[in-house]
Amino acid sequence: MIQLFHVSKFYDRCVALDDVSFRIDKGECVILTGPSGAGKTTLLKVIFGAEIPDSGQILVQNRNVARLRGGAIPYLRRTMGIVLQNFQLLPKKTVYENVVLPLIIQGVKRREARKRVMDVLKAVGMEHKQKIHTGVLSAGEQQRICIARAIVNSPILLLADEPTGNLDADLTTEIVELFRRIHAEGTTILLATHNQQVVEQMNGRVVHLQEGRVMSDRETTS
Amino acid sequence: MRPLYLLREAMTNLRVNRGNVLIGIVTTAFTLVCFGVFLLLYLNLKNVSGTLQSDIEVIVYLDPGASEQVVSLVKKRLETEPAAVTLTFVSKEQALREFSEQFPEESLLLEGMDANPLPASVVVNLSPRFLDTESLSAFAERVKQLPGVTHVAYSQDWVDTLTLVVSYFELGAVVIGMILAVATVTIIANTIRLSLHTRKEEIEILRLIGATGVFIAIPYVIEGTILGAMGGGLSLALLKGVFEFFRLELNASGWFVGVEHILPIFPRRVSFLLVMTGMLLGCGSSVLSVFGLMKARS
Repeated sequence: MIQLFHVSKFYDRCVALDDVSFRIDKGECVILTGPSGAGKTTLLKVIFGAEIPDSGQILVQNRNVARLRGGAIPYLRRTMGIVLQNFQLLPKKTVYENVVLPLIIQGVKRREARKRVMDVLKAVGMEHKQKIHTGVLSAGEQQRICIARAIVNSPILLLADEPTGNLDADLTTEIVELFRRIHAEGTTILLATHNQQVVEQMNGRVVHLQEGRVMSDRETTS
Repeated sequence: MRPLYLLREAMTNLRVNRGNVLIGIVTTAFTLVCFGVFLLLYLNLKNVSGTLQSDIEVIVYLDPGASEQVVSLVKKRLETEPAAVTLTFVSKEQALREFSEQFPEESLLLEGMDANPLPASVVVNLSPRFLDTESLSAFAERVKQLPGVTHVAYSQDWVDTLTLVVSYFELGAVVIGMILAVATVTIIANTIRLSLHTRKEEIEILRLIGATGVFIAIPYVIEGTILGAMGGGLSLALLKGVFEFFRLELNASGWFVGVEHILPIFPRRVSFLLVMTGMLLGCGSSVLSVFGLMKARS
């Protein structure tokens, strides 16, 4: 699913990623841990094509992301779901309008899109708030909407960068449970977090980054 | 679903950005009004010049002492001229009558005279093919050589001057039009850039979920096109209003009784041209503004 070969990335002279190599197989759940500035976000960004590595190769579903042209990036992103810490929702649009956006972009027919949006809203427990503007939702609700938007086009890969960064312990448990359910349905997950609670509650492989290098790569069980 | 979505987004952009959009519409309208005024002046001058040109008459004055035979010979020669379309003989008596009718106050001047001092003449209307300066002067030179002809008069000089003024206007319209087009493009492009800036976060989100640059750019191009069209429409309304007022004032003044056909014109194509120009400028400037979006990677 994802293969990284000696990937390095520098910002000016600061090392963000230093000779990172590992692979993620289809259906795996990988937790990327490490302190702030360890390179977790940069690693996710090179995977979804927002950053180009200075050296090394990244294969995502057999496509070399490092060599993809700008015009091909949107099509790569349509095969994955992306969840970020700061929610990235459109506050003046309703829950429904936010979640349906990836389907509109892909040209899915209205009736089909409606069905799929309602299904994912039900899955994240937000179907009753479909007509509410996202700007008035709580942090936990907003993150659930982000997850719904990320999975509405049934991606084979879900990337999450600190998805519980703005949430308290109870909401974190809720969101982790949601990720576990998505993973159980066969979606490959790469989740970056520095929250130990998330690491403990998620079942999967933990890759620890520090100063841009992979320090450890181990399996955990909850 | 997508075209509807994109149109709705464009309308939202216009609504959210209404302050800047309004400024954009007004300034676009102002620049198009300037262009429109110039265009109308040019078209009207061209119309007047064309009308006057087609009305040019050549008056062949005959020697007062010329015999009937000579006069008849002149008329025959004129009839054989390929340039002449119609000939009207004006006798000495008819000339006096017309002078008295046209200038009743000055007719007193002629009362003290023993004989009618006005010469007989032949008024020649020329074919449109021979109304250029060279053909006219060649015709006049030929006719002047005929026995019994004293003088040949035609009002070409000031028509030539008018034609020259029209050609200057033509050049001016191109130069001013280009300057105003650049100004309009700058104004609309800045309005669209402001719109892009206020929706920067939204654009990032759209990129994140797989929207292509073109998908993101289309609502802004629609926004620019609508803005340009509205500017064009407003300029049309303003111009039409001022034009009608001006035309009514001229009508009321009574200066053009009998020659209404040279009153100001506002061709339908000017209306079409103004709105189309606004739309094209709006579309072009928004494409310029969003060009970077189409190529950006992140």
